[in-house]
This record gives sequence, structure tokens and C-alpha cells, in this order.
Amino acid sequence: MKRKRIVVICPGRGSYTADTLGFLKPSPDLKRIDELRVQDGWPSLSELDKAEKYKVSLHTKGEHASTLIYACALQDFQSLNQDQYEIVAVTGNSMGWYLALSMAQALDLESSYQLIQSMGSMMKDQLIGGQIIYPFINEDWTFNFEEYRQILTAVTKANLKGQAFVSIELGGYLVLAGDKLGLQTLTELLPSKENYPFQLVNHGAFHTPLMNSISERAFHILGKLAWQKPQLPLIDGRGKVWHPHSTGLDQLRDYTLGHQVYAPYDFTQAITVALKEFAPDHLVLLGPGNSLGGAVGQILIRNRWQGLRSKTDFVERQKENPILISLGRQ
Amino acid sequence: MFNRAEVVDKNFQERVSSGQLPLAQSLTDRQSLTSTALVELFESQILSRVLDLKARELKKDNLTYYTIGSSGHEGNAAFAQAFRPTDMAFLHYRSAAFYLQRAKQVPGTTPLFDTLLSFMASQEDPISGGRHKVIGSKDLFIPPQTSTIASHLPKAVGAALSIYKAQDLGLPSQMPKDAVILCSFGDASANHSTALGAINTACWVAQQNIKLPLVFFCEDNGIGISVKTPQDWIRKNFSHRPGLQYFECDGLNLVDVYQTCLMAAQLARGRKKPVFIRMKTVRLLGHAGSDVETNYLSLQQIQQSEEQDPLLHSARILIEQGILNAQDILNLYQKTKERVDAVAQEVVTRPPLQKINEVAASIEACITSKPQQNLALESERQKIFDKEWDKLNAPQHMAKLLNWALTDIMLQYPNSLVFGEDVAEKGGVYHVTDNLKKRFRSRRVFNSPLDEQSILGTAIGLAHNDFLPIPEIQFLAYVHNAEDQIRGEAATLAFFSQGQYTNPMVVRIAGLAYQKGFGGHFHNDNSLAVFRDIPGLIIGVPSNGADSVRMLRRCVQEAHERGRVCIFIEPIALYMTRDLHNEGDKAWTFAYPEPLDVAPLGEFKSYGSSQKVILTYGNGTYLSLQAQKILKDQHNISIQVIDLMWLAPFPKDALLKTLHGKSHVLFVEECRRTGSFAEGVISQLATEPNGPRNLRIHAAADCFIPLGPAATAGLPSKESIVQEMLDWEKGL
Repeated sequence: MKRKRIVVICPGRGSYTADTLGFLKPSPDLKRIDELRVQDGWPSLSELDKAEKYKVSLHTKGEHASTLIYACALQDFQSLNQDQYEIVAVTGNSMGWYLALSMAQALDLESSYQLIQSMGSMMKDQLIGGQIIYPFINEDWTFNFEEYRQILTAVTKANLKGQAFVSIELGGYLVLAGDKLGLQTLTELLPSKENYPFQLVNHGAFHTPLMNSISERAFHILGKLAWQKPQLPLIDGRGKVWHPHSTGLDQLRDYTLGHQVYAPYDFTQAITVALKEFAPDHLVLLGPGNSLGGAVGQILIRNRWQGLRSKTDFVERQKENPILISLGRQ
Repeated sequence: MFNRAEVVDKNFQERVSSGQLPLAQSLTDRQSLTSTALVELFESQILSRVLDLKARELKKDNLTYYTIGSSGHEGNAAFAQAFRPTDMAFLHYRSAAFYLQRAKQVPGTTPLFDTLLSFMASQEDPISGGRHKVIGSKDLFIPPQTSTIASHLPKAVGAALSIYKAQDLGLPSQMPKDAVILCSFGDASANHSTALGAINTACWVAQQNIKLPLVFFCEDNGIGISVKTPQDWIRKNFSHRPGLQYFECDGLNLVDVYQTCLMAAQLARGRKKPVFIRMKTVRLLGHAGSDVETNYLSLQQIQQSEEQDPLLHSARILIEQGILNAQDILNLYQKTKERVDAVAQEVVTRPPLQKINEVAASIEACITSKPQQNLALESERQKIFDKEWDKLNAPQHMAKLLNWALTDIMLQYPNSLVFGEDVAEKGGVYHVTDNLKKRFRSRRVFNSPLDEQSILGTAIGLAHNDFLPIPEIQFLAYVHNAEDQIRGEAATLAFFSQGQYTNPMVVRIAGLAYQKGFGGHFHNDNSLAVFRDIPGLIIGVPSNGADSVRMLRRCVQEAHERGRVCIFIEPIALYMTRDLHNEGDKAWTFAYPEPLDVAPLGEFKSYGSSQKVILTYGNGTYLSLQAQKILKDQHNISIQVIDLMWLAPFPKDALLKTLHGKSHVLFVEECRRTGSFAEGVISQLATEPNGPRNLRIHAAADCFIPLGPAATAGLPSKESIVQEMLDWEKGL
């Protein structure tokens, strides 16, 4: 049987939740990561994952959440049946880029751990800024570009008082980031819609110039990681494709520790490129959870992919012959 | 086997697998090209090739329509890599590898999907919306070209000229300050007068030490469809041109192409000089899918080219240098094929362009509309007009009024440029551009070489970089040797790019007949047929000085705000005309219209009111008004004269309303009858259910205009118009 061509999507920071507690199964890789964590003075992932109760104050902290999500995603990735699926590219959202690097073997397990753990711990003492999320879609998941422009106008206005930026293009949502005053102004400017604007707990002002110092530290701490040629094409947060044989390792490092840290992350474009340049049979979203599922569905609709034009189309399609396979869905 | 696509495909795999790779023909010492960059170029080459093969496969199912491809020319990927994605590139049709490589310089682009959309003429094709299989992209600074005969070279010269002109004038521009313009074409089209004219103009400009950062890239495959290019023709033709630095590279060797292009880039960017690169290569898969090469080449000759497949040469370089092994290369090739197959399956489902209203929607499209330009301050106007300021209210002839209008326009639009033959110091052969050089300096008012293709091409190129060109064509007859620059280039840019690119301009053309004491068909050409059928043009022909000012202002406004291409025909015979009915009556002189007085498009003007109507324009209006007076004074017949002013867009509905119930409608046409606007207008009126039925045309004879006394023999005159009306009255 011909293998199904899939693009693997690695999840970002918000994906480990109360629902995903207990996701991890014992494995040699988990054991090794636990050892490295303990060596570095962190509680093991197994311990965190087995906790009786999910604690926002504990599980969402960067130094724990990042590596927890990495281990969960890795577990899902390794569960993919290679006889059934051919992975044609790997991508991810935000922190998911680090995971994608690992899945494509641009970094081995230990280097991946170092990157993910270090980047996750950069703001353990003091978060720099924060993120809020805000939608610009209609109920049927069609895009409202007028609202999109209004959000950008609000960002520009908020920048007059504090600092505010677009952080992530996330399907029908914009993740905005900034300093306290910037976010406060944004929250005042953006009309309240159900739970939105929604502040993401324990998230910093990722992918904005407020992260310049973090980028500099990352180069200092992680500049000498053992980068390798990726074994699979990677699609980054600009929609650039890194093909295995033509990937310059210095360029890959510079993007990962530079642009990816301090400039906007365009998940929408990453998925668009995955669709248009690889045309996979399925998009496979790694666990934990399924928090990117909606955004992916919205991007499919935005691209009118395989005739999908609304949320109803997407939901129906998912029932019959799912285009998006979410491995972490409970 | 006659399917050469299959042969080339099979050859590649077998030869890589067996190690039977062609011998090197040039050095492959990589100085500035990293191993990963070399692989990246190779990946672009493979993708380009696989797309060519896929296009032919899809053609069998009638899913693609135009299979001309890039096979054999994939070395141009290295040309792309040596330059920046903001160096605007005017590419010929074998440039897929260039395009794919450049797309890698701009993250987030989707060149594979977009190329297949273009192959399948899908309305979702982001550049042409399914209007043509063109290589183009707004994001990649690649305006789409449909040229197969190098008619895109003149615009490349204009675009190159624009870069430092914008800086020297302190104007904002689309292109970076140190941009270079790239322009590729084949060896066969290098023979075309358009190409030769453009290269000549580049040399002419460079010889005067004017900055012209431009790279001509001639992809020499040695054959144009079936006609072989003489041995070393390109080198011998272009290697010793004044002001033009010449390079050659081996198109089968990515390293050589890249390194040669880098040197060229340094010269073009650093010294701002034009450069000519000849990339020697081979043509594979024939001219296009429909071309049977065996009709004019022996099988052995075809196979010789196939043995020199640039992809095989690239494979050899990568294997020799230990960068990839044969299996890596075969895997890469296979995976690319699978990827292209998968994407093609998706693209097939995308809607093709089908309905004429959808097709025509982009004829006048402009996605970069600009707001209205503010008028210049009164004090600025006073300063620029200087001694003439006090004369603005005194009635003047058309030439003087146009000169003032151009002065105001150049003041109001700092990005406007006036150029053409003799327009600078001489002020034009009819003085319409008098003093403009003094007023606005030589950067904005300049002479061009005697080459209309280059004048119009320069205008197109300048317009790509936010200039508002107002080129002058000295005589209407001269436009005929350059018409394709309007017909095939300027008028089609918005159409083939869905208004993403526009080339706004106002082409002033002195023309039409009735020059006193002169004659001759060249200076009295009386046919506008060349413009009549071109979609999207604005065509204005004023009949008097005041309207000429108002209409020129409208043309400039349409060009500036909506990116339109405007043709403004100035009747030479009316330039200096002052009197209408009697010597010294000065009835054809007019005061200079106030700056805010701008003629609406579609405006037409009625003189008098009657059941009997004359429709006309230009000189016809002038003569008809004379005839109107004679008919009234001597025959007591009232005539209404309607000056159409604008020939395109044609205000059909408004005119029908005005003509409703009229008993006689005569079109006085100063141009040759065949192909005239009169034919078009009268046929349109006649076929309207409620249109006038009693229609006639009084046109110039279908004859060229001679010299001397017979110069006006075949043309409508006031006497002939009077006679026509009288005859009609009598039922003759």
C-alpha cells in the first residue's frame, strides 16, 4: 500500500493542560530526559506528568512546560507508523519550532533538550512581558480582514503608550505581545468578545523585540550546540523551507536563536507552505492535546484547501476522512 | 523513442545511477559558493525540470495549455542567486529555475503551487489570475513578461535608469537605492530590433556616464525554434559595444554561472554600469511541446544536446566534490517528482479562468491606486512661470497652452518626466516643451536617442519605479515602428498582473494631417487605427487649446492615480492655429484654464443645437465648425457639431442619449476611413436598438498623404463637409 504523505506539526507552549496530565509513557528517551533534568536540578518530567493535580503555577512555567511538551510530542512522533506514513516535512508553532528541529534530527536528543530546556528557562526568574490572544474570524471560521486591520491599528496605538507587537499569526487568531502597559492598553482598545482578549498565563513577549536580550543570551549559551543536517524538510516560522541537503547549519542556528526569538512567528504561513508546497494527504498534529487544531482548520479554510470553506465543512470532513490527524486528542 | 521528455527523464536517472556523466567544460573551483548553496541551486534545477516534465504530462489530459519550458536553461538558477530578490527581473520564458531560486530568498513564498496554477490557467494563479503561463511575482520583483521577442528589453533600460534618477531627484521609489535591473532573453531574440535598440540605448546612456545598473543575460542555446544561431554570433555581436562590459559563462556549470554573475553584479551595482552576460547552454525538449525537433535536427544532434543536460553536469560536480552521492541525487529527484505530483493533484481542483467578464476584469486593474496630487502653491507657480505668469489670462494657441499645462503638471507631480527626441534644449519641433528643461532641469526633461521603441520602453521601465513618464513621440507615423511597446507591453502589464504592476504614462504624440505648406505621409500621418483595438487605453484628441490643457490634466491624473496608459494625440495643424472663420478673428485662441479645470473622461462638447448632427474630433471639429457657419450663413441650415474629445473610453450611453431623435448624424473623420474611429462609432450607434438610423461617414480617402499641393486632396475640408450636408439634404 502506498504510504500516506504527511506533514508533522509540533505543538507550542500552551498545549500541556490539565487534560493532558498523565500523557507520558515510559521510554528510553523519557528516561534520558529525566536524567538530564535531574542533573540540572529540575524535577523529572515523569514526576510532573504523574502529579495528582495539574497546577497552573507549576505546569505552565516555561522551565517545565517546554520540556514536558517536547517529551509528549516526541512520544507521539515515535509512535508514527513509518510503513503507513511518509513524513514529507515537519513544522511547528512557536516553541514547536525547537521540537521540529528535534524530530527532523537537526539536533540529537541531548542537544534538543539543551535548546528546549534553556530557552524555556530563560525567564524563570522574571518573565519579560506577556502575550494575549484575540480572534478575527467569524463564527463559521471565515476570516474577517477588517477586524484584522483593526487589531493592527490597536497594536499601533498601544505602541504609543507602551510596547505592543504582533507575536504570532495563528490561523484566525493573532497572538499579541508586549510589556505591561502595552498589553493593558491593547486590552482596553480591543472590544471584548467572550473570553477575548485572553491573557496567556506564564507566557513572555515571545517573538518580539522585547526578546532581543534573550536572543543574545541564547547565542552565548547555545551557540555551540551540535547541529546536524536535518533528515526531513523543515518549515520555519516565516514559511521558509529548509531542505535536508541544502540546509546551512550556521543559518539554521542563526534563525533559531535570532529571528525566531525576536521577530513575529507566522504559523499561518508555515502551514500554508506545508499545504501548497508539499500537498500532504494529512497534517499530523503531535500531542499533547489538540490546542492547535482550530488554528490549523482555519488555515485550511483560508486556503480553500480541498474545497473547505467553513467550519462546518471542516468538521464534516474531519468526520469522514480527516485531513488533520491530532495524535494528542484525548 | 520520440518522446524526448521521457528520454531526458530516463537519461538523467540512468546516467546518475551508472556514473556516466558528461565531462567538465569549465572550471568548478568553488570560491564563494558553499556546498549547501550549490545543492540549493541543484534543487531548483531539479524542480524546474520536473515541472517541465509535469507540464507535458498534464498536457496529455488537456490540463495545461502552453508547454514551453526551461529544460536546458536551468543554469539560470545561479543567475538568481548572485543577485538580490529586490533587483527587479524582467525574465524570458525559460526562467523557471531563476524564479524558483529567487523564491528561496523570500521566505513564505509558494513557487511550486503558484507555477502549477499558472500552468493550468487557474484564476487563483497569483500573478496573472490564469491569463497566461507567465513567470512573475509581486513579492519577488518579477513583473510578468509575455514577450517572446525581447520586447521587454527596452523597459529594463528604463527601470535601470529610474534607480539613480529617483535618488538624484529625492523621490521615493519601489526599488532599493542600490538595486540592479536584470533582464534575460534568448540568443535568437537578441537579433530583434527591439533587443538591439535597447542594448544600443543602454550603451548610449552609459557612454554619457549616466548611471545604469543593468544586467543583460543572454541565454544562448544556439537555436531559435529551428533556426541556428551562427557560431559565436552573440560574442561577436556584443563583446565590443561601447560602455557595455561583456562576460561569458558556461550554463552547464552552476559554479561558473554563479561566479560570473557575481562579478557582473559587482560591476552593475558597484560601478552602476550595464553588463552583458552570455550564458552558453543547450536546449532540451525542443522549443515547446508542440515542436517536433526531428523535422529540422538529426537524432544525433538532439542526443548530443541531451548528453550535455545541465542537470547531469550539476550531478557530476556534486559527486566529484563529495557533496552528494548518486543515491542522494536519485532520491532527491524522485522525492521532487512525488512532491510535484501531489501538488499538481491539488492544483487540478482549482478553478480555471473561464468567463470573459472575469478575464477582462484586470484590463484596467490597479491595486496601488494613489490619492489625488495636491496642486502646486500659487507662489511656486508664479516663480516657475516667471515672465509668462502675467500672460496666462491672454488667449493663446494650443502649443503655448500645452506648454503651460506641462509646466503646471511638472510642478504638481514631482515624479513626472518629459523626454523624447529634441524635447530638451530645442523644446520640441513645435515648441510644446519650450523652456521645460530650463524650468525643471535635465534630470526631468531630457532628449532620447532616435528610437521610438526605446522611448516607450524607457517610459514603461521608469513607471515600474513610481515615475510618471510623459514621453513625446515626435510624429504619429513614428509610433508605428514601436507600437508593440504600447500594444504588447504597456497595455498588457495590468492585465497580466491583475493590476499588481502598472506602467502609468501619458504618451504625447504630435500627429494628424493638414500641416500647411508641408505634406508628406510621415509628418501628416492620418490613421489612429494602431490604437483603436487596444484594450484599456485612454485616447484623447483635443481640438482646441483650452480642451487640450483640460484633457492632458485628466490623462496625467488617470495615470498617476489609477496607473492608466494614456495616448494623447496633439493635432499638429492646430498647434499654432489662432483663427477659426476669418483671418485675424483669433477665435481659436483660448485663455489658459484654471488649474482645477480638468476634463472628465468621456466628456464631449456640443456646438449649437439641431436635428442634424456632425460627430467629429481633432481637426474635424475645427473644420466642422467652419462648415457649420457656412451652412447657416449661406444655406440657412442649422447643424450641431459634437466634438468627441475622447476616443477611448467611448461614452456610448451618454452619446446615444444626446443623439436620441436626431434626423441626421454625420461623422466627419479626418483619418483614413478604413480602420477609423468613425467606422467603429457609427457601427456601434447603428446596432443599438434605439440608436440613430440616418448615419453617414465623411472620411479621408484610403490613401497616403502626398507632398505639396495635393497634401490635403483626399482629406475632409470645410467645403467638402458643406457639400456632404447639402447632398444629404437633397437625398443624394
